Amino acid sequence: MQENSRLMIEVSGVSKFYGSFQALKDVSFSVRDGEKVVIIGPSGSGKSTILRSINRLETIDRGSIIVDGMDVSDPKVDICKVREEVGMVFQSFNLFPHKTVLENLTLAQVVVRRRNRREAEKIALELLHKVGIAEKAAAYPAKLSGGQQQRVAIARSLAMNPKAILFDEPTSALDPEMIGEVLDVMKNLAREGMTMVVVTHEMGFAREVADRVIFMDQGRIVEEGTPEHFFTSPDHERAKLFLSQIL
Amino acid sequence: MPKNPTSHTPIEVGDGAAIPHKSDAGLFTAWRIAFFGAIFVSLYLAFGKPEPYFEIFKFVPDGILVTFKVTLGAILLATVIGLITGLGRISANRFVNGVASLYVEVIRGIPLLVQIFYIYYALGRFVKIPDMLSAIIAMAVCYGAYMGEVFRAGIQSIPKGQMEAALSLGMSRGQAMRQVILPQAFRVVLPPIGNEFIALLKDSSLVSILAVSDLLRRGREYASETFSYFETYTVIALIYLIMTLFFSKLIGIMEERLNAGK
Repeated sequence: MQENSRLMIEVSGVSKFYGSFQALKDVSFSVRDGEKVVIIGPSGSGKSTILRSINRLETIDRGSIIVDGMDVSDPKVDICKVREEVGMVFQSFNLFPHKTVLENLTLAQVVVRRRNRREAEKIALELLHKVGIAEKAAAYPAKLSGGQQQRVAIARSLAMNPKAILFDEPTSALDPEMIGEVLDVMKNLAREGMTMVVVTHEMGFAREVADRVIFMDQGRIVEEGTPEHFFTSPDHERAKLFLSQIL
Repeated sequence: MPKNPTSHTPIEVGDGAAIPHKSDAGLFTAWRIAFFGAIFVSLYLAFGKPEPYFEIFKFVPDGILVTFKVTLGAILLATVIGLITGLGRISANRFVNGVASLYVEVIRGIPLLVQIFYIYYALGRFVKIPDMLSAIIAMAVCYGAYMGEVFRAGIQSIPKGQMEAALSLGMSRGQAMRQVILPQAFRVVLPPIGNEFIALLKDSSLVSILAVSDLLRRGREYASETFSYFETYTVIALIYLIMTLFFSKLIGIMEERLNAGK
């Protein structure tokens, strides 16, 4: 769809080894500005590893990853600059437990973006309002439910005005009744045009939101295509088997 | 160190006093008997047999003050050294890591008494510094190595996701350490630091071999004048006991508060 928009993330020929085990095998894909890409696959397929390589939480052994024009694997590139532009949401939320919800949102704005405290708090409150949790601004993360914590984590990432957000199984640690509220926030983001790369097991979300689905197995991309094509008539046996197990 | 998955939980024995918790009924009772018993015996001796006990109790308080000064000074300095050492021990920089590890290994392999002599006389050859400061530095250099391990463990006890979350927001490693990891690690290391404080309080008696008039040295001075060795060291032991029991109780309360605040 956004054929003409510029490339935001470009992954080419990426391989990664843990000792003799090859976790990623010649993985290549790209994400355009405003695109929503969902990566699915069985556990151990390398989907989280490739996602975490995009902001260099994992290093790669071969290939290159270009984010917003910056080469992530180039040691001369200031990785902090890349991370300022690419948000990340984790499976285990990773809120800062010693800081209030509001402080979780303002910390990086002040320390990294150099905003003054008042401005940062204003932005933080707007975002908390947006994810429906403004009344918890003064609470500590431990007092929040998992769903609330994950919404705060999304707001924390948004407070940096990222150009793209990476989601690493954002609902996998949640109780079933809380998954919906987090997915709703993510769907809203998608509607607003945020560039998103999402590793998830939520097939309903993938079907509804994704522009493209990437299916990985054993460290390589097996299939890539539109959600309609992937969910109704996947080309590969491995993908068919996976879908039959999960749907 | 390789871990044997079938082995039992390692037994942890600190070098401080046993910290009494309400849950440990036996130790809690023992603490009460020891603490109030020591106070009772002290009062009984001081007023029941004022000659020589009351005299001794009058003579040694100067030393208590010196013992506290040495202990407090050393624990503060040791905390700073420990923090730097702990950061060095987890550093990815091989040189920094090597220096920090070497410091820990060397210090842990030399008896404290030998170190105190060594630093006191080694320092004395190059600079003229007051005896008390020299004693504080000697204690701090030694305890800094142990505190380094406390800080290393404290920092490593913070889940990996905290550093990752901070980095993914664009923070540098240093910023993430200062803003996110260390504030959490301090909470974790506070009780062990309290434990080190008690251990240091006891070990500070070693500085009495230098020209520092701490509690034990005051006792020696009194005893050598009056020849009442038994009575003097009874009083000295009682005072040390009351002090360490008092602080271990304080730390126990602090730990409970910290746990309740989680």
